[in-house]
Amino acid sequence: MLALAPDPASQQAAARLAGSPGWSQTGAAGDVVWGLCAGSGQHPYQTVTDLSGPAYTCSCPSRKFPCKHALALLLRWAEGTVPEETARADFAESWVTARRARAAVAAQAPDRTGPKDQKAAARRAEQRETRVAAGLAELETWLRDQVRAGLSSTGGGYGHAERVAARMVDAQAPGVAAVLRGLGGIGSSGEGWPERLLGAYAQLHLLIRAHDQLDSLPPDLAAVVRSHVGYTVARQEVLAGPGVADRWLVIGVRDMLDATVPVRRILLRGRDTGRFGLLLIFDPRGSFAQDPDGWLVPGIELDVDLHFYPGQPGLRALVGERRHEPVPAPAPDGAGDIAGLLADWAGVLAGDPWLGSWPVLVAGTPVPAEGGWRFADRSGLLVPLVTAGIDYMLLLAVSGGAPVTLAGEWSPEGLRPLTAWHGHQAVRL
Amino acid sequence: MRGTGEVGGTAGYQDLVTAATVGLDRRPLPVEALAGPAGEHAGVLDPGDPVAAFLDAAALLFSARRAGPVPAGAEGGPAWLTPAPPETIPELPPRASAVLGYVLRGGDADLLADLLTAAAGAGLRAAPPMLPGLLDAAIRHKALRGPVAAILGARGRWLAAFHPDWQRVADVAAPTTARSGIDLADESVWETGRRAERRDWLAALRASDPAAARERLATGWARETGDDRAELLRVLAAGLSDADEPFLESALDDRKQSVRVAAARLLGTLGDSGFTRRAVARGTATLALGQPGTRPALVVSLPQSCDAAAARDGISPARPSQAVGTRSWLLTQFIAAVPPTEWTARLGLSPAELVRLPVTGGFRADVHAGWRLAAVARRDAAWAAALLTARYDAVEGRPPETWPGPAELAAVLPPAGQLEHAERFLADHGPGPAAVAVLAAVPGPWTDSLSDVVLEHLARGIIQTGRPRRVSGLLTPAARKLPVAGRRDYAAALRALAQESSPDSELYPRLRRAADTIDRRRLFLQELT
Repeated sequence: MLALAPDPASQQAAARLAGSPGWSQTGAAGDVVWGLCAGSGQHPYQTVTDLSGPAYTCSCPSRKFPCKHALALLLRWAEGTVPEETARADFAESWVTARRARAAVAAQAPDRTGPKDQKAAARRAEQRETRVAAGLAELETWLRDQVRAGLSSTGGGYGHAERVAARMVDAQAPGVAAVLRGLGGIGSSGEGWPERLLGAYAQLHLLIRAHDQLDSLPPDLAAVVRSHVGYTVARQEVLAGPGVADRWLVIGVRDMLDATVPVRRILLRGRDTGRFGLLLIFDPRGSFAQDPDGWLVPGIELDVDLHFYPGQPGLRALVGERRHEPVPAPAPDGAGDIAGLLADWAGVLAGDPWLGSWPVLVAGTPVPAEGGWRFADRSGLLVPLVTAGIDYMLLLAVSGGAPVTLAGEWSPEGLRPLTAWHGHQAVRL
Repeated sequence: MRGTGEVGGTAGYQDLVTAATVGLDRRPLPVEALAGPAGEHAGVLDPGDPVAAFLDAAALLFSARRAGPVPAGAEGGPAWLTPAPPETIPELPPRASAVLGYVLRGGDADLLADLLTAAAGAGLRAAPPMLPGLLDAAIRHKALRGPVAAILGARGRWLAAFHPDWQRVADVAAPTTARSGIDLADESVWETGRRAERRDWLAALRASDPAAARERLATGWARETGDDRAELLRVLAAGLSDADEPFLESALDDRKQSVRVAAARLLGTLGDSGFTRRAVARGTATLALGQPGTRPALVVSLPQSCDAAAARDGISPARPSQAVGTRSWLLTQFIAAVPPTEWTARLGLSPAELVRLPVTGGFRADVHAGWRLAAVARRDAAWAAALLTARYDAVEGRPPETWPGPAELAAVLPPAGQLEHAERFLADHGPGPAAVAVLAAVPGPWTDSLSDVVLEHLARGIIQTGRPRRVSGLLTPAARKLPVAGRRDYAAALRALAQESSPDSELYPRLRRAADTIDRRRLFLQELT
C-alpha cells in the first residue's frame, strides 16, 4: 500500500494519519473503502478509494496523488479496522457510480448492478486470491534470500522488512504485512533474536505453503490461513453463522494501546460450555467508550449468543442475541492446572500453528524465581509469569502466598496474568 | 537433542538457527532427519530444493518448540513463599471497600485517612486487593502512614515485606492496642530485630517498667547507629520523668543532630529540669513589660548571638529563611523554649492580655512565633486559644514549621472546646482561609450548631456577589466533617443550596461534590456496623 505513495514523505504522513483519532464514518463494501478525516478546515475531508482501479478521490486540497488521506484510509483498511458495510456511504456512492459509469462507457462494458452482483463478487474474490498468491510468491523468494544471505547480514534492523511489508499491503495480505512490520528492530530485542527471526520466517513460509493449497485444505484450516493472511470476514457473515448460547464471564481485559489502531481485547469464558471467546474493540482514541461492550470489566457476565469467526480453534467472536443486561457474577469454576494449560495449548496449535496466544483459567501460586516471578500449580510445575505492564504486587496481595484462580493469556513466552479472584471479586491486574 | 549439523545428520532447531545466521550460501545445511516430535514429518522435506527443505524443517521444528515448552525449574520444586499468616480480624465489607477504592482514586488523602481510621476503630482490616493502592498512597502522603498501617492486617504486613517503601509504612508505630502481642520475654527481638520491631519492643517495656527501658537503652547506647539512637530515644516520651534527665542530658552531646533534637525536645517537656531552667533564664531575658510610650508594651532585648551552651540545648544559629533576621530567629527560639506558663507567672498578665500587647522594635511576629511554637509543643490550651484570637500577622516567608497556623493551634484545644472555638472563630473572623484551617483541624463529626453556622455561611455566600470564592473553601472540611447521621441530612441540605445557586457558578459543582462525599461517608460508616 505504501508503495503506492508518490514519495517517502507521503508514506510517513500516511502512517501517522492512519492512527489519528480524526477518522469517522469509515466503511468498506466490496472494493470501495471510504471515510471522513478531520483536517484543518471546517468540514472533514471526504476520502474514497476504489481498489478495483485502484482509484482515489479526496476533498482535500493536496496535489499529491494519491493524497495522504487516501493512503492512510487504505492502511486502516489493511489493519482490519474499517468495518464492512452492506451499503456504501452517500458521498462514496456518488463518486463510485460516476467513476464506474465513466469506466463502463470507456470499456463499453455492461453496468455492474443487479443480478450480476453475486457473480461480480465471486470474480472479485477470485481476483483478490490471485493477487495475494502473486504477492506471497514474491515473499517466498524474499524469505529464501534472507536465509541464503544470512540473518546477520540484515541484522534484523529497523525497516529491513519494511519494503516487503509494503508490498504485502499492495498484495492485499495485510495480516502478513503486519507480521513483517513487527519484525522491525527484532535484532535489538535481546538475546536469541536469530531464533525468533528464523521462527517468524519459518511461520510465514508455512503460511505461504498453506495458502498455495487453500482449495484442498479442510474448511476450518483454510479459514485459519485466510485470517492470518488478512482476508476480512464481514460482520454479517459471522453473525449469520450459528450462535453459542451461554453465560459468558469476562475473565480478562487487555488494552493494546501501542497498536496502529488501539484495540481492547475482552476475554470471555462460557460458564456452561467452558469455551473461551474473544471480543476485539477498535478505537483510534483508545477510550473504547463508543462501543456498547467497551465498558466491560472482569467479573461481568453476559447472557448472549456468541458467533465465532470461521476456523478452528475458534476464539474471536461477535455478540449476537442479548438476553439480559450484563450482571456481576461469581468467580468461575473449573480452573485447570499447568499440565492442562500446556496440553490445551498444544491442542489449539495443532489447529492453528500461527496462533500467538491462548486464554487460560488456571489455579496456582505466584513464586519468586531468578529473574522474575513464576506460577506454580499444586503438582509443583512452574511456568514464567509475564509481568510487563502488569501489577504483579496486586497478584501477590490477592494470593498471600496461597493458591489463587487466575485468568490470563498463555504464549510461549509465559503466562500473562490479567485477572485474579479474591473470593468472588474479580481483580484486574 | 542437538544434532551435529553434518550432512545427513539429525538437525535440531539450534542447528538451523546457526546455519541461517551465517547464511545457507556460505554454510549449506541439507536437512534430512529432524530431532524430536518433528522427526516423523521429515518425509515432506524435498531434497531437490534444499532452501525450501530448510524453511520447511524450520517451520516443523519451530512449531514443535512452540507447542511443547518444558515447564521450567521443576527440579527441587518451586521456591514456595511462606504464606501470609491467618487473619485475626474481619475484612472490610465489599461495599465499604468500593467506597474506599473510589476515595483512593480521587486522591483526597484527608478523607481517606478519616475512613481508614474509622475502619480500624471498628476492628476491621483492608481487603487484600486494596493493599497495594493503600500502601502506595501512604508513601506519597505521610499523613496516611498511621491510618494505613492500622488496617493492614496480617496480609498487608506480609505483603509490605516485598517492597522496602511499603515496609517503612508498615513499621509506623502501631497504636498501643496492636502492640499488645509483643512478648517481652523474647530478648531476641531487642538483640536482632529490625529497627521498628526493636522500637515496639522497647515501647512495650517502657509501658511496663519505664526505668528498665531506659537502662536497657543506655546499656547498648554506644553501639547503636545514629538513626537507631534517634528512633529509640523517642520511645522515652511515654512515661517521661525526672529520672530520665541525666540520660537525656548526656544525649545532648550526641554526634547525631537528630538525637540532640530529640533529647532537647524531651528535656523541654520535663517540668523542672536543668534544661528548662536554662531555657527560662535565656528566654525571659529577652522580654520585659514596659511603657515606652503612652501604653504598656513588651520591650524586646534581642539576643546577641548563639553561644555554645544555647547551641547544646538545641538552639539553631541558621535562620530558616531570608525573611527572618538571624537575631530575630534566635529571639523566636529562645521564647519557644520557655514553658508559656512562665510568662503569665512572671509578667502577671493572662495569655489573652499578653497576645494583645504591642511589641517594640517591630518584633511582634517573632515573639508570637515563639509563643505559637511553645503552645503547640506543650499543648497549652489556654495559650493556643489566646493566640487563635490574636491579630493574624502576615507570615510571608516563614516556613510552616516556624509558624504554627490556626489549624495546629486549634488541634491543641480540648475536643469540646475545639468545636466551640471553631464556631466562635468563624463568627469573629468570617469564612476566610484561617477559619477553613481551623475547621479542618477540629475533629468531626461537627456539632449541629457548628454545622448549621457553616451552612449559614454557605447560604449567604450564594446570594452575595463576590462571596462564592470566599465561602467555597468551607466545603472541603464540611464534606469531611458534617455529621452523616442525626437531626439533619446535610447532603440533602447542600444539594438544596446547589439548586439555589446558578449552575454555572463555581459553587454549584463543589456543593454537589461535597454532598456526594457525605453520602459516601454515610454508606461507608453504615457498612462498618
